[in-house]
Amino acid sequence: MASFKPTKIQIYPQLGAKVTQDTLYWKNYKAPVQVKEFGAITNIDFSPLAPHNYAVTASTRIHIYGPFSQEPVKTFTRFKDTAYSGRFRSDGQLLVAGCEDSVVRLFDVSGKVALRMFKGHTKAVHVADFTSDCYHILTCSDDYTCCLWDIPNSTELTKYKEHSDYIRCGATSKLNKDLFVTGSYDHTLKMFDARVQKSVMTMDHNHPVESVLFYPSEGLLVSAGGRYVKVWDLLKRGQPLVSLKNHHKTVTCLCLSGNGQRLLSASLDRHVKVYNTTNYKVVHSFDYTASILSLALAPEDESVVVGMTNGILSIKHRKTSEEKQGPTGQPRRQPVFRVFVKGRNCVPKQDDFLVSKSAKSHLAKYDKQLKRFNVSKALDTALENRKPEITVAVIKELDRRGTLKNALAGRDEQNLSQLVNFLIGNVVDPRFAPVLVTATEMILDIYKAVVGQSSVVDRQLVRLQELVEREIDYQQDLLEVLGMLDTLFASTLPRKEVPCPVLHCSVLVHELVPFII
Amino acid sequence: MGAMAMPLSSSGQPCVFSPKLHQYLALCAQDGRLRIWNTDSKTLHQEYVPSAHLSATCTCISWGPCRTVKEGPQRKKRKSEAGHAGEQVDMLALGTAVGSIIIYSTVKGALHCTLDGGHSGGVNSVQWHPKDSLLYSGSDDTHIVEWDLQTGKTRCKWKADRSSVTSMCVSPDGKLLLSAGQTIKMWDLETKEVYRKFTGHATAVTTLRFATTRPPETNGLYFLSGASHDRLLSVWQVREDGKDKNSVVSFTLTDEPQHIDLITSCGKEEVRCQMIQPCKKPLSPTCTVQMSGVEDTPLPIPLLATALTKDTSSLLLAYGSRLQPVMERVEVNTAERHVCLSRDVHSTLSLTMETTLSKVKTPIVNSKSKVLLPGLPGHQAPVKAPLGSEKRKKGTDTKEMSIEERLGEIGLSEGGAKGAPSLQTDNFAVLLVQGLESKDANILNKVFQTRKDVLIKKTVSRLPLPAILPLVEEITKRMQGHPYTAVLMVRWLKAVLIQHTSYLSSLPDLVSQLGVLYHMIESRVKMFHKLSKLHGKLYLFMTQVCSGRTCS
Repeated sequence: MASFKPTKIQIYPQLGAKVTQDTLYWKNYKAPVQVKEFGAITNIDFSPLAPHNYAVTASTRIHIYGPFSQEPVKTFTRFKDTAYSGRFRSDGQLLVAGCEDSVVRLFDVSGKVALRMFKGHTKAVHVADFTSDCYHILTCSDDYTCCLWDIPNSTELTKYKEHSDYIRCGATSKLNKDLFVTGSYDHTLKMFDARVQKSVMTMDHNHPVESVLFYPSEGLLVSAGGRYVKVWDLLKRGQPLVSLKNHHKTVTCLCLSGNGQRLLSASLDRHVKVYNTTNYKVVHSFDYTASILSLALAPEDESVVVGMTNGILSIKHRKTSEEKQGPTGQPRRQPVFRVFVKGRNCVPKQDDFLVSKSAKSHLAKYDKQLKRFNVSKALDTALENRKPEITVAVIKELDRRGTLKNALAGRDEQNLSQLVNFLIGNVVDPRFAPVLVTATEMILDIYKAVVGQSSVVDRQLVRLQELVEREIDYQQDLLEVLGMLDTLFASTLPRKEVPCPVLHCSVLVHELVPFII
Repeated sequence: MGAMAMPLSSSGQPCVFSPKLHQYLALCAQDGRLRIWNTDSKTLHQEYVPSAHLSATCTCISWGPCRTVKEGPQRKKRKSEAGHAGEQVDMLALGTAVGSIIIYSTVKGALHCTLDGGHSGGVNSVQWHPKDSLLYSGSDDTHIVEWDLQTGKTRCKWKADRSSVTSMCVSPDGKLLLSAGQTIKMWDLETKEVYRKFTGHATAVTTLRFATTRPPETNGLYFLSGASHDRLLSVWQVREDGKDKNSVVSFTLTDEPQHIDLITSCGKEEVRCQMIQPCKKPLSPTCTVQMSGVEDTPLPIPLLATALTKDTSSLLLAYGSRLQPVMERVEVNTAERHVCLSRDVHSTLSLTMETTLSKVKTPIVNSKSKVLLPGLPGHQAPVKAPLGSEKRKKGTDTKEMSIEERLGEIGLSEGGAKGAPSLQTDNFAVLLVQGLESKDANILNKVFQTRKDVLIKKTVSRLPLPAILPLVEEITKRMQGHPYTAVLMVRWLKAVLIQHTSYLSSLPDLVSQLGVLYHMIESRVKMFHKLSKLHGKLYLFMTQVCSGRTCS
């Protein structure tokens, strides 16, 4: 006995952007949690220690948030003016921050009062960071200088006065305790070596530099300034490697993903772009509501934290593996224990017949109606479905059976208007047009006698007619484009000598003479 | 009721009509200049800039009493024409914020004298003695000074209050002086002793005015007072028995009073004195006059000064801008409770000025000379030389606009400005490149929404070559949708194909680059034949229905 074959729903190629591994990876975050801070969020830094708290610098405070808390677990408020650049030491015990009042403060993460105050700059300090040996601090200030400080004695070790404008970014090497890089508004990046007391490398970014970042290998350096993100090869004495221009406003922040395979850049144009670090192509892009000033990724990309100019901190957490499957609604009821116990000890005997039980196939609603040859009802249930693919598949099946006319006929005003509505929505879709155009013609044939009786349907038919008219105009245009493309393609093919009856060789030569001269 | 008070908007600068005939309006504007306007011809009569007008702003102003002019030879002829021609206003006293007082003569059109050394704080009020050439000034330093104008020296100085003296008034007979600080005090001018004290206002008293000329021996002496942020005018009675602690009556106003003028004709005074009985409830004004503009949403126009004319039924009003006030005589029908006059201030306001009257000279600046502006040197972005278009210039000196604002502006000016399409397409091309680079949907949507073929053509032709393939990609993505939106994209695609034919045909991998587009178009136009037929069918039906309707 042949069983009923369910209607085959055709799978059409997806329109729009291609789905890559990267889009899947970067879309796999939950809806963002938003926290309102007091002012523009200028810096976010993750603690290297588990559970990876992060310090958020905004206005005159630094808040430390836990990985899943929306309330700050700790707050440092001992700033006289706007605080900048709250960063953790590599052991996660100390936190350093610059301030608008030019004093650099060092905090114990568990304490409240500053352990050390480094005074020596004359203007706002926008950068403060620990060197890799944990005993020194690098600070960069608006007085055009950068300094190295000794933590135990809180004394100034060296002062570098090489920049000619505000220094707004800097980074210390994680591998070498003496190397660090500063980026300034005088458009240059300078690499300093504490052992030689002066800069060892200068790179010209051509725009005020807003952010610098070392690659984990520290062979490459990334800088952001203006609309450009530039990558420099440090091993080749600061040779520019790539210049990326994927933002339409100033790029403010840079960040690397956990495995170092992706580079992220955030900008005032409210986008965060993700680059592949092998070919430097944009593989994904996030949109935010306001201009972004700071960005940080948790280790292993567990969360993306973004700080904006309007003081909103947006935190996106990665979906865990259970949540990835999406909500399935009611969990399926497991069979009770009794079911498993029953017949557990039963051993089949020699003479027993084995009766195989055919698996009960689950049919969709429209398939059930089709099985019963209720063609009209099948079409109705298919129309109730939200997916046009299914509806079209049912119509196609009805057409194949030759019963489409029956299904379409005998409808009252409401049913008919529902059907015409569906047609208006989908008749011009190139995927469905072949099926739906036949259906439309059939409807017109069936209902031509009653056209004009219902104002609702008439209005819909007018709309349908306008739509088809537009589509025809559009396709006419497309045909013209097709002609142009044909010509273009033909011109790229290797040319063959085509005997041309109109032009004689003499004419050609004659025309070419001026060009040759 | 004789008294009228105008609801006035609060403003800092003093402004007064000259007494009696109200021939002039003296006004100290924000720029520190004193301007005297002729109320008859509505023109600027004189302009005077005090030498210290920037450091010592004028805080109060007062006209001196009219005086008989010394008759020159030409005056004699006219003497018979008008009785009051001999009386002319002349002196104007200006109190400044540093404590000095300037006496200006309108007849001479020059500074008469400066009275210095009397006050250590800013002068809040100056008042002339009606008969003798005396001047009283009250100051922030809590003192009142009596000046002798003949000698230009102080005649007397006494501490008037614990806080600064905010307002003063000399009685019409010149025997009493009212001063307001924390309390209102009435001084006997001969002995300089406090005659009465009145308390009642919570805020600083800004206006004081005697209502009657009665001698203080009888009960018929009244005066009015108004305070800042207070919408009541209080009337006080000076009683012989001294039982006059509270105000007898108060008038409600809709706003803070600024200037009071009274009708003190003898006949009405009697009536009013009887009417003013101690009364608990504030009385409402019999008539209010309000000015408003003629815009869609009429805004009240600030009145600068008011004065009642002799015949008591008309008002002289000054309103509008301080730099160019508008003066008008208005007949007021007191039977109506509320009169609203609507005037178009903007059309009457013109900033032209007769240069002969002004003694201020603007320096002649050589066109080659540079004007240096304050600011941090070296922190301005290098400004490119303007491209000869006015719009660009405008953009550089105003605040830099955001992309959205710029887009909005382009959208607005699209319909109107035909003169500079090249400029617009230039912006469009830049925006399009930016949008393609950052893949910003907002920018791309705005650019692609344009329907002007010229604009599209020029934009595409200005596009740099590296941006063309991303543009084609973007167009391909957008052409798959609904015909209403996709039809716009075809124009862009055609423009790209027409403008950049040579570039496209030079691409080695053209077929693979445009292959997706080609296949998409091909699959879409497959239904052209059937759709056309369907359209014909539908069209026939719809026309039939329409014709059937018109027949029936």
